[in-house]
Amino acid sequence: MTLPLLPRPAQATDASAAEPQDTAVLDPAALANLAQLDPTGANRLMHRVLTTYRSSMARLLAQLAQARVQSDAATMRLVAHTLKSSSASVGALALSALCSDAERALRDGRLEEVPGLLDQLVAETARVDAAVLQLLADT
Amino acid sequence: MTLPNSLDADDSPERPKVLLVDDDDLALMLTAEALRGRGFEITEAGSGEQALAMLSDWTPDIIVLDAMMPGLDGFDTCHALRESPGFENMPVLMLTGLDDEASINRAYQVGATDFFVKSTQWSLLAGRLRHVLRSARTRQELERSKSKLARAQDLARMGSFDWRRPSGASLHPTGGLTLAPEALRVFGYAPLDRVSLRRLVRMVPLPERRGMTRVLAEVQGQNTVLAIDVPVSLPDGRMRIVHIEAEPEFNEHGHCAGYTGIVQDVTDRRIAEDRIRHLANFDALTGLPNRRQLIWRTERALDHARRLGHQAALLLIDLDRFKVINDTLGHAAGDELLVEVAARLRGCVRHSDQVMDGALDAASARSHRTLEAVGRLGGDEFVALLPEVADETDAERVSGRILDVMREPVFVGGQECFVTASVGIALFPRDGTSVADLMRNSDVAMYSVKNAGRNDSAVYSPMLAGRGREKLELESALHKAIERKELVLHYQPKIDVRSARMVGVEALMRWQRGNSLVPPGDFIPLAEETGLIVPLSEWALREAARQAKLWQRSIGFTDSIAVNLPNRMFERSDLVEHIHQCVTTYNVSHRCIQLEITETDLMKDLQKVIPSLHRLNEIGVEVSIDDFGTGYSSLAYLTTLPIAELKIDRGFVRDLGITPQSGAVVTAIIALSRSLGLRVIAEGVETLRQQEELHRLGCSVMQGFLFSKPIPPEELERWLQQTVLPRKAPWIVQAGADRIDPPRNSGGRRP
Repeated sequence: MTLPLLPRPAQATDASAAEPQDTAVLDPAALANLAQLDPTGANRLMHRVLTTYRSSMARLLAQLAQARVQSDAATMRLVAHTLKSSSASVGALALSALCSDAERALRDGRLEEVPGLLDQLVAETARVDAAVLQLLADT
Repeated sequence: MTLPNSLDADDSPERPKVLLVDDDDLALMLTAEALRGRGFEITEAGSGEQALAMLSDWTPDIIVLDAMMPGLDGFDTCHALRESPGFENMPVLMLTGLDDEASINRAYQVGATDFFVKSTQWSLLAGRLRHVLRSARTRQELERSKSKLARAQDLARMGSFDWRRPSGASLHPTGGLTLAPEALRVFGYAPLDRVSLRRLVRMVPLPERRGMTRVLAEVQGQNTVLAIDVPVSLPDGRMRIVHIEAEPEFNEHGHCAGYTGIVQDVTDRRIAEDRIRHLANFDALTGLPNRRQLIWRTERALDHARRLGHQAALLLIDLDRFKVINDTLGHAAGDELLVEVAARLRGCVRHSDQVMDGALDAASARSHRTLEAVGRLGGDEFVALLPEVADETDAERVSGRILDVMREPVFVGGQECFVTASVGIALFPRDGTSVADLMRNSDVAMYSVKNAGRNDSAVYSPMLAGRGREKLELESALHKAIERKELVLHYQPKIDVRSARMVGVEALMRWQRGNSLVPPGDFIPLAEETGLIVPLSEWALREAARQAKLWQRSIGFTDSIAVNLPNRMFERSDLVEHIHQCVTTYNVSHRCIQLEITETDLMKDLQKVIPSLHRLNEIGVEVSIDDFGTGYSSLAYLTTLPIAELKIDRGFVRDLGITPQSGAVVTAIIALSRSLGLRVIAEGVETLRQQEELHRLGCSVMQGFLFSKPIPPEELERWLQQTVLPRKAPWIVQAGADRIDPPRNSGGRRP
């Protein structure tokens, strides 16, 4: 498992700094930050957050797909914006960065860049979702 | 950092209620969780619409809005919130993206309290929330204290104002005046009225306006503090007194940029102050200036007269026989009369009730006119102050008016009364340069009127002073002596040395003037001269009757008290009636009172006195001839007069045994009295030798310092108890010796 030290955040931070792997789809520091919100795990917060993130991501991807068909830039932008912050929250930093790029391109009207960015974004969501699923199975 | 925690502890003992609005479920969940863990109570809303719906019946302490939301976004929600009543000042924190400057600007435009860049650093968010809450609370307290201040100012009828000095190209030539709503109310305007300085100045009545604008110009010119009370006429016509206080404000160059200050309606306070001042300075009965106020005014008037070198006059007005009215109609009627008289006297001068302090300070040559007044010194004494007169005829014109207005009858107690006045006039500086001198000399002049028959006026003059100022003062004081109960009777016992017993007393008048006892020789002649002797004698008779009753009770006194009366008393037809009244009042017999008249007095106008003597004899009042032997009287008249006793003059007694003539006269008087069947008594007996000699000659009743000087009644009782009854005094031993060995010549006198 890539994140065996999750419940011990200080060491997790050290671990992430020590091995910046490509496989680290979810940033250990961000996850550690999340875990701090529910230190004892009594609220099963991590589980709820990850579940919510998955369903939110699925809903947003559906909205995005429809918006792309309809060329609805506003919805595209809102999806990118929302997915950007929630992805950052769970440590999906690469996805968050892609969202941010897409959002900025949409906001600044650089529409030619948008399809490429969105394709990368959707591809990244698949990797993130897999990592989340793995994490959910572990917790 | 421990600071947020300590602030937390200080400012928010409870969990602040937060409404968290975000369309992103995950963000909502995380933020809520993070804030709950940091002491906040979180309510979540998934959209702007839901948030507004929740706020219709619930109020959080702070609202956190995600800026980017589908439907009603954060900006629209915030805008809608600010439009709803009660949420104008609700703290709203807008969550924006890190690089989204446009959103940040928009957040402020729609009325957000603050913004926060979305991040997962929850402690920063919590700190920001606390900061926003704290400043909101501070602001709320400020608002509350502002409204408290406004309310307090309203209650105190006070308001603030701000005035900016007009600058060169100003649109407001009068400068910019801003009045707080409370200040507008002080001037009688509505909170939204715009009122210029010029308009306010015009509210001040003309007479005061000039003084005020002068003060304003002065204060402005020197950049000093302004503090002034001005009367204003409000738009609704009410007159109020407004206190204005302001301080200059200086700009960065040290120039005065304007004034800030307060205005306050001080009318009520001024009315209360005026009332207190009035009570202290005005007579409660008549409303006229009282003694204190009169003295104050006179002092001011004299200062002024001294400066400008003119004359002033003081008129002392004393009602004639006011005491009679008071005694017969009662005090209520007396008061009524004084009020009416006061009103009439007021009309005789240019009476000013209020003296304007400012007017006096002003250099106006006529300002001292406001001092002119009639005041009441007390009792039935009034004073008119004329601050400026050309000469004494000016003052006499006023006194003439006073005597005139008194001629009309006064209705009091359902009765028509006639009251006259005696007026004494003293002029500054001729008759005195101080208030005290003028008061005294107007008093002297007034008493000269009383003596000349009352109901007139007199100007003080050296001629009056020629009569002797002290004498006049004494007279004036003697006038009041009876009222003030300053007169007392002292008693000297008459002793029958054969039995060593007291057989009667002679009453002698004393005047207790302050701490000194005035001997009769110092005031009886004056009383006789002025006619005061009549009320004095009447009083003495009454007092003697009263004392007779007291002694009857205390020591079984059955003898008589001899009262000295001048011949003019005997000439009065009402003497018998008066004595009758006195003895009846105190329920004693007529023979308790004995009268003494000097031989000289008796012989002055014998025919006028004789009828009284007869009638006194009829009612049982005995008459004794005092100072007998000095009056060159024809002895023939004695046989026809109804008298009971002869008193051998002290001059003969003194010389007894020294000159042979005195012994001869005493012998002759004793013989005479014996032949006429009269008692004989010797006065002025001071030595045992005189006692022995008188007794030897046949006079056994005596009076003198040997036995006792005249003493107060209580002392006489003590004297009887301690000296006469225990038979201790030398004269008693002597008297006893006489009894054992009676002198040869006394036998015939024994009954």
